[in-house]
Order: sequence, then C-alpha cells, then structure tokens
Amino acid sequence: MSRAQDSDSDDAMDEFMEKFRKEKYKGAFNVDNWEEEFEKVPMFMKTAPKEIDPKEHPDLACLQSIIHDDDRPPEEQAKALKDEGNEYFKEKNYKKAIVSYSEALKKKCTDTDLCAVLYTNRAAAHFHLGNMRSALNDSLAAKKLKPDHVKALIRGAQCCVKLGNFSEALQWCDEGLGVHAKDVTLQELRATADKLKRTAERDARKSKVKEKKERVEREALLGAIRERGIKLLKPDKPSKHCSDSEEEDVGSTRALAELDLNDLCSQEATGFKVHLDEQGVLHWPVLFLYPEHGQTDFISSFNENDRFIDHLTVMFGEELPPWDTEKKYQPRNLELYFDDERGQLLQLENEMSLLRVLQNDRCLVKEGTPSFIVLVRDSAFCKSFLSGKKVHRLK
Amino acid sequence: MLSDREAKELLNFLTLETRPDVKGQATEYILGLTGTKDGCRYLRGKPDFLKALLTLTSDSSVAIVKDCYHALINLSADETLHRALVQDANILPVLFSNLLDPTYMFADRICTILTNLTRHEKTCKDVFKVFQEEHIGLAKIVEILCTEDYNKKASLHYLGPLLSNLTQLPDARQFILDKERCVVQRLLPYTQYEASTVKRGGVIGTLRNCCFDHAYHEWMLSDAVDILPFLLLPLAGPEELTEEENEGLPVDLQYLPEDKKREEDPDIRKMLIETLLLLTATKAGRQILKSKNVYPIMREFHKWEKEPSVISACEKLVQVLIGDEPEPGMENLMEVEIPEDVEVKLQDLDVKEQEQIEKEQEELIRAATEENSAREES
Repeated sequence: MSRAQDSDSDDAMDEFMEKFRKEKYKGAFNVDNWEEEFEKVPMFMKTAPKEIDPKEHPDLACLQSIIHDDDRPPEEQAKALKDEGNEYFKEKNYKKAIVSYSEALKKKCTDTDLCAVLYTNRAAAHFHLGNMRSALNDSLAAKKLKPDHVKALIRGAQCCVKLGNFSEALQWCDEGLGVHAKDVTLQELRATADKLKRTAERDARKSKVKEKKERVEREALLGAIRERGIKLLKPDKPSKHCSDSEEEDVGSTRALAELDLNDLCSQEATGFKVHLDEQGVLHWPVLFLYPEHGQTDFISSFNENDRFIDHLTVMFGEELPPWDTEKKYQPRNLELYFDDERGQLLQLENEMSLLRVLQNDRCLVKEGTPSFIVLVRDSAFCKSFLSGKKVHRLK
Repeated sequence: MLSDREAKELLNFLTLETRPDVKGQATEYILGLTGTKDGCRYLRGKPDFLKALLTLTSDSSVAIVKDCYHALINLSADETLHRALVQDANILPVLFSNLLDPTYMFADRICTILTNLTRHEKTCKDVFKVFQEEHIGLAKIVEILCTEDYNKKASLHYLGPLLSNLTQLPDARQFILDKERCVVQRLLPYTQYEASTVKRGGVIGTLRNCCFDHAYHEWMLSDAVDILPFLLLPLAGPEELTEEENEGLPVDLQYLPEDKKREEDPDIRKMLIETLLLLTATKAGRQILKSKNVYPIMREFHKWEKEPSVISACEKLVQVLIGDEPEPGMENLMEVEIPEDVEVKLQDLDVKEQEQIEKEQEELIRAATEENSAREES
C-alpha cells in the first residue's frame, strides 16, 4: 500500500503507530454480538451459509471462487471440490456433499486414487441419506478403479447388507479379506452378513412349513364340509349350490376351490370359524336370533353332533335371560326356524343334531355361521311373525 | 534292471529336444517301471530320471505330459520315494507354480501328487516347509479351494484331501485357526459340497484335525466361527421335530424341508461324528452341544443309520450328550490320566468292539449277497 521509500517508511511507521495511541480501536467485537460476528468469519464458521452472498460473506465468496476457478488444472479443482464435499459431509449436509463430489468427478481427472476416494466418499454420503442403490453403485465404481480400496469394499458390503443381499455382501467381504486379511471391520461385517443370511434362510423355511400346514388344514376342513354335503352361501352372490360344482371331478381341487375359505368368514367378525377337531368332528359357530326382543345368542363352538335341545336346555335351563320379561322362553316351548333366504322358513325338530339340519338340501350356511330364529310356540309374536310366510317342516 | 549304459542312453532320450516318437517310447517305458514296486525302487536311486520326468511335464505333447504325471503319481504313492522326489529331484517348486496357474490343464494331477506326498508326517513337513519358502501361504490354497472355477480346466477337488493332510501338522492347523484372519470360516460351507465327495471329505477331515486342539474349541463353537451347524447339517434328516426342539436348534437346522438328504458316504458321516465327539472333550464344549439340541438330531440319525461302525460312533456321542457330567478333575477328557490297568482293559474292550463291528459288517455283506443271489435265481 504505502509507496514510501526507506527513509519515509520510518516516518510512516511512526505515524501509523501513533494511531494506536490516539485513536480508539473501532470495529472490535461487541460483547453482545461477538458470536454472530464470529460466525461471519469463514475461518470460524460453524455452519456454512446456504447461499453465499458476496456482500454478506465476502471472504467465503472469495474462497468459493478460488475453488470454482476454472483456470486451475483439473486435479487441483477436483481436490478442492473434494475438500468442500468433505466439509459438508462433516456437517452432515450430505446432499451438498454429493453435489461437490459429483462436480469433482466431472472434472475427469486422471488421478485414479483421487477418483476412487471421491466415489467412496459420495457412496458414504448416499449411504447416510439411505440411498443404498446409489451408494452401492458408487462403491462399485470406486472398487473398479482401485480394487484394494478398503473403505470402498467395506461400504459396498454394508450397502448389500442394508439391501438384504447377504450373499453379495459376503462376496464383497471375501474380496476385501483377500487383500486385507486382518481387517477387523471386514471380518465382523462378514460374520454379520453370514448370520443375517442364515437367519433369512431359516425364516423362509419356517414360513414354508407354516404355509403348508395351513394349506393342509384348510383342505381337510373344506373336504369335511363338502363330504357332508353342506352348502355354503357365497357372500354378495346369488346363492350357489354345491351341486353345481359336483358336476366337475369329484375330489378335484378346482371343485374345492369353489368352496372358498372366504365363504366361511363372518362379516360380524366374531373371530370364530368352523373347525375340524382331531376326531374329525366339525364345530360350528352358531347364532341364535330372538326377533321378538331383538336379541341374539352366539355359541362359538357347536359340535355338529349336538342336538339343539341340548344347547337350549343349557341356555334356558336354570336362569332365563333378563330380556325374557314374560319368562316364556322355556326350552320345551321353543321352536327353531331357519331362513333359507329364498322366502321359506324351515322349522327344525329340536331333537335334531346340527349336522342333520345342515345336511338338509334346503339349508345354506351364510358367512360360515349357521343362524337360527327362536320363537315361543303359540305366542302372539310367533303367530304374527309366521303369518304370510311359507313354512316348511324339516324331516 | 537296466545296465548303467542302458540307463544313460535312456536318460538321453528323456529330453525336450528328443524326437517325439523316441521321447514317447522312453516315457512310456519309465511309466511302466513306476507301475511295479521294483521299478519304483530302482528309480529311487536315479534322481536324474526323476528330474527328467519333471522337465518333460512342460513338453508340447499332451500324451507325453500325461504319462509323466502318471509316473510321478505312481512314484509319489510309494513313501520310500519321497525323499528322492522332494529333496533330490526338487520337484516341489515347479509343481507349486503350475498348481497356482489358473490356466494349467494338469493341475488336478499335481493335487494328487501333493496329496500322496503329504499323507505321512515326515514328507508332509517337508512339503509345508517348501510352501513357506516359496511364499505360498495356506491362505492361497484355501482361497483357491473356495473359488469356484478358479481353474476352468481342472476341478482341483483334491485340494480338499491335501489340506486335510497338511493339517496333521500343528503349524498348518495354527494357520487355519488364526483368530485374526477369516480362514476356517470360509471352509465351513463345504461340509455340504455336493459336487465332490473328495473335496467334501477333505474339508471335513481338515475340520476334524483342527478339533484336536481343544484350546480352540470355545472359539470354534462361538459365533465367530460357529462350526456346529456345519457339522450337524449333513447328519440331519427330513424328520419333523417338535416346535420346542426346533426352536432350540441352531438357525441353520430349524425347519428343514421334507426332501433333506443326509450325507451319503459312511466314512464321511463317521468323520463328522468323530469331530463332534472331539468337541465334547471340554466341559464348555459339552454344555454348548447339549444346549443347542444336538441330541434330537443324533437321536433321529441313530434310527436312520445302518453302518455298524457309524452307529457305534453315534452311540458314543449320544452317551456323552445325555450322560452325567464327569467328576471334578475329569472334566477335560483329553487331559485325564488313565491308570495303566484301566488303560489295558479299555484297549481290550476296543478290540472286542472292533471285532463285533467287523462281524456285523460281514453279516450285512453276507445278507446282501444272499439277497442278490436269491434275486438272480428267481
């Protein structure tokens, strides 16, 4: 700045020094805002500003322009970009880091070591963002350039593990251990990948066994129902008799497929389904409806060989239900009806077993839960309920 | 045999530069010699012939090279020839470098020669020493063994038995069991290698030898190596175990499919059981094997096995698994001091047991032959 020659410089120097004694120092950091001020100095910045406004941060803008100065050789530019990326990485600003590394790679410099590092670092940034595929591709690129680059080998294996490709992860580890036999990270990674692989294989086997067991049980159940000639009503479709499917091969799985397990699902979602016990006996969930009082009773497991009277005796035996205000629902007074959904009511004999009733041609099981209407014989409600309806007695 | 003059003449024909037809006849003659014990012994004193054979393995005629290797294989099968081959003719360095060459067509024959040479401890030590002098670690052998299609023209299955032979030496075992590297772990999947009984048997033999060093047992049974599932899988069958038994098993043995097959070779089955028995030598080992439900696997195996000697080994193992713990001072069965008179009695029992096994085997063979002849007659 000063163009003073030697003799003058002493004077200038004295003058300069005088300033310190006379003038008060301006522009010092203020006690209140020194941290803010600090943040503005590139050297002390804790976080990089999102946009570098040359007016606000002239120094940082200056640095950036140095980094992005296109006049310098590509190696230098790439290195500077790498450093920039690393800074962003340290701050966990992975997206920005990736941009820097990508810019560096675009410079196409011939230094394979540098490029391998760039790919590896970018892979790490992708990894932390959860972009496993990109991270793996970058690791692969790094490995191609430098097959013994330990960080790339480790990162590649880690990506494979996250992607669930355990066999591939093992290959990466073995490749790595081929060059760096004693690397502990690779060994541990290999052990982890191996364990995960074997656990996944076990899980696959286990679910296969479970699937098979369920399929066998399902087929046995549907077979038992079909054997007995019991008809299931398909939901949302007009009632379809099993006799249609009997025209196909007896025992063919296609015929069984007509009897879908969905036909057994109750929309009321009682959670109970018909099941076949170890002695080959079917147990049904059964619903008793009391239209007189708007009540229902649900039997979760009605043995097909049980007679209705047996259940009624238990249900209405000792204590009558609270809604039976007239105390008229005595077992011996009860009549049971089945609505065949085609305008007919079928009256059962209470001494019949559930199986006998279900096997009747006119009976259809709706939504897997046989339901029966319970009326009190000769009661006013019963008479009015049955008037105008076609009633048919089951034999 | 040959007179000195005849021998000298023959030797002159055994060079690369000799006319092909003469060369061929000469090597054929040598091969013929190696087919007899006397012939081999004769060649023992003639290292120049052995060197010539080695040189001729780089001949351009495949037929001649084949004959040379065939001769070397025959020679290496005779232990008295080992010194001549290894020390006097110094065949190892050339063999090694060809072995490691992924394009070398005759690598399998080299494997066989090396397997022969390493069968007995003395030459095995020499071979191992040369391995180290040539800076070929066992790591390389393991790596090649574990690399499918390392050599497209040779299967290299005999690297299995080679490794097994080498591990009779403590130094070789130490390398395989190096805790700072990942060596033994890479061998484990090969206990189920279906493509080659030779390789599979070799790997299992290696593992069995490694289990002689009981100081390594805990490490080998730990997650760092996890040898147990790989020993049990070939012995486990498709039989369904209870849910409880399944959940207690190592992960690899749970829920095995219906088409699971057991190891077909009885000798290999026996080796696997022997390895398991070795692992029961320490208290820690016994506890681990008991806690990982080895017993149900062996229980089902026992029902399936037909070979008397294998059944016997299985019963020994089961005894340890379900028996009580030994008294204090006897926990490490390998270190227990057996009093002399007991030792004699035990040896007697062993002999009697062996006789019983042989008797049962004979009966099996007789029954099978009778069945066969009955079938032929009808």
